Amino acid sequence: MKRTPTTRLKGTPTTRLIAGREISERIGSRTLRITTMLMTLFVVAGVVLPKFLAGPEQPTSIGLVGARAQALAPALRDTAHAANVKVTLTDLAGAGAARAQVKRGSLDVALSVGARSATAEVAQSMSATMRALIALTIDDVHQQRVLREAGVARATIRAVQTPVPLATTALAPAPSHEGARAVAALAASILLYITLGMYGNAVAAGVAQEKTSRTAEVLLAAARPQQLLTGKVAGIGACGLVQLAVPVAAGLLANALVHSAQIPSTVWLLLPASLLWFALGYALYSFGFAAAGALVARQEEVQFATAPLLYPVVAGYLLVYVAIGSPHSTVVRVLSFVPPFAPSLMPARIALGGVAWWEMPLAVLITLAAIYAMIRLATRVYTGALVHSGPRLSWRAALRLPRSRSPTTG
Amino acid sequence: MRPSSQPADKTQGMLDVRDLRHSFGELVALDDVALTVGAGETVGLVGRNGAGKTTVMRAIMGILVPDRGSVSWDGHPVGERDRLRFGYMPEERGLYPQMRLADQVGYFARLHGLDADAAARAAHRWLEQLGLGARANEKLIALSHGNQQRVQLAVALVHDPRLLVLDEPFAGLDPEAVDTLSEVLLAQARGGTAILFSSHQLELVERVCERVVILDAGRVLAAGTLAQLRQRFPAQLRVNVDGPRTWAQHIDGARVVHEDRDGVLLVVEPGADTQAILRAAQAAGAVEHFAFESAGLIDLYRQLLAP
Repeated sequence: MKRTPTTRLKGTPTTRLIAGREISERIGSRTLRITTMLMTLFVVAGVVLPKFLAGPEQPTSIGLVGARAQALAPALRDTAHAANVKVTLTDLAGAGAARAQVKRGSLDVALSVGARSATAEVAQSMSATMRALIALTIDDVHQQRVLREAGVARATIRAVQTPVPLATTALAPAPSHEGARAVAALAASILLYITLGMYGNAVAAGVAQEKTSRTAEVLLAAARPQQLLTGKVAGIGACGLVQLAVPVAAGLLANALVHSAQIPSTVWLLLPASLLWFALGYALYSFGFAAAGALVARQEEVQFATAPLLYPVVAGYLLVYVAIGSPHSTVVRVLSFVPPFAPSLMPARIALGGVAWWEMPLAVLITLAAIYAMIRLATRVYTGALVHSGPRLSWRAALRLPRSRSPTTG
Repeated sequence: MRPSSQPADKTQGMLDVRDLRHSFGELVALDDVALTVGAGETVGLVGRNGAGKTTVMRAIMGILVPDRGSVSWDGHPVGERDRLRFGYMPEERGLYPQMRLADQVGYFARLHGLDADAAARAAHRWLEQLGLGARANEKLIALSHGNQQRVQLAVALVHDPRLLVLDEPFAGLDPEAVDTLSEVLLAQARGGTAILFSSHQLELVERVCERVVILDAGRVLAAGTLAQLRQRFPAQLRVNVDGPRTWAQHIDGARVVHEDRDGVLLVVEPGADTQAILRAAQAAGAVEHFAFESAGLIDLYRQLLAP
């Protein structure tokens, strides 16, 4: 597989030259710039927009109707502060005006307090927290008055009313930021899916173009099929990695600027893991895409030739939804080791949490073995099909073709 | 022409193809093809469509691995390193349509082992030489068919190859471009490059090549210089006599193959008495023309491939 250095006269190694041509062809193209820009825009919008759509957290406005209610204001403020809830209090004279304001929406709660009961009027419903907060304040003030009237000392009343701290310890805590984890898993798999599809097709189209334009024949006179294949896959893959890294970096930067979501700690593991799995997934699929590109007789046939390869890519993407639903199920765990699905399922599982330390290295090893087998198969097909003229070949027919140029002899 | 029986220096820069056999399924494409091209020699490969010319060239370039046979260079089996010093122009032209000429030619130069600077210089030099210097920064697709062919030639020549394998290099070129290409090939040959090219334009082959290899159905039908090929056929004698032509009907060792207003064309068997023929002609009238005609490649080709 490796070219001995002595075969080269001087100058750059063949595979690097071929990869370099692919990169400069793509960097020079408008398509790459536009798609990178669009992907970056989508990711940044996804980070920034929810923040703006939600707006800042609004305080609950409470109208205090009548003197009894208005007397609660300091206690209400204290309780709300202790509970870390924002409230604005307004003194209102009449119940009618208060009700009208609640109906209009300019007031959330109209609170009136009688001798033995209190009434909170709301438009539709009140949150349990807000209800508990108001009830607690009214009870406190009520108890205070009753106890004071009974001659109980202020210190005793304060002691009675000081809450006993209750510490909560979760014995089986739910993973933190569950939603954020699911979003991260989905984002990683969508980006992987898009880039795999896009760059897999780019490889197939590039090979088909060289075949149909007969450039392949001129190239084969100067380079081995293995070098042509590896150079093309590496060059296009490098562009894909950059195109994946730019939106991700922009998204993280945007998040840091607007503080949209707290980034779960798993993301910092997920990022390098995703890039690694993109590289592995791309390596696994792109050699297949290259072989598919060599099967065609005309450029328009590329999408038919590559279709069989897109099925597992799509399946891997859809399986991420299954993983989000039940990340610890046996099916998801087992499939995350199966090469066609590992590139999308493993990063998703990492995002969702609960991956044992040995699982990722094992999945990487299995996938590397599959990549090796894929390279062997793809080189065989590519080598035979590249200079074959005639109608589009089936995979089986391509495997039966005589090799145009053996990869080991010159 | 066996290298083993020759001094070592004779194999320097020499292509030696032996015993080449290849089948595509049932179809035998090559059947024991052998040919040599020495340094500075220009050899024409001719034959019908499907005779095996392209298959031979692909086998030489390593694009196709033949079922049997050997391709040697400098007396050893051709390796990758040797092939980097081969220049190839395939029958079906192919280059990157969206690449600029200078980049494209330079890229192929680098694939053949030149460093970036040398590749850029060589690319510009060849584009200049082939009349495309002003268009070096244009994309290939913007060029006419003929000019694209010039670029293809530049790609074959840019790395200063020691062997040029050109499949139908003249096809589709205008007379001016044909002259340019012929001059370039002759200059390359003078510089010591071995050249093998195929063509259906036999008058061009005759003009440019020192030797010819005629292929038919995968076999070498004939090979050699034009003079050597002529010897394989009886000489043709053109005689024009001012008088009736019946004199030529019954002459020992010669027969009429063609008659027109310039007289008769006789095929003379080896060893026939030409003086007796002259006397017979003189007996019929005043002899205005009496000369052996040297058959052109096209005549030889037709005779060789005659059913």
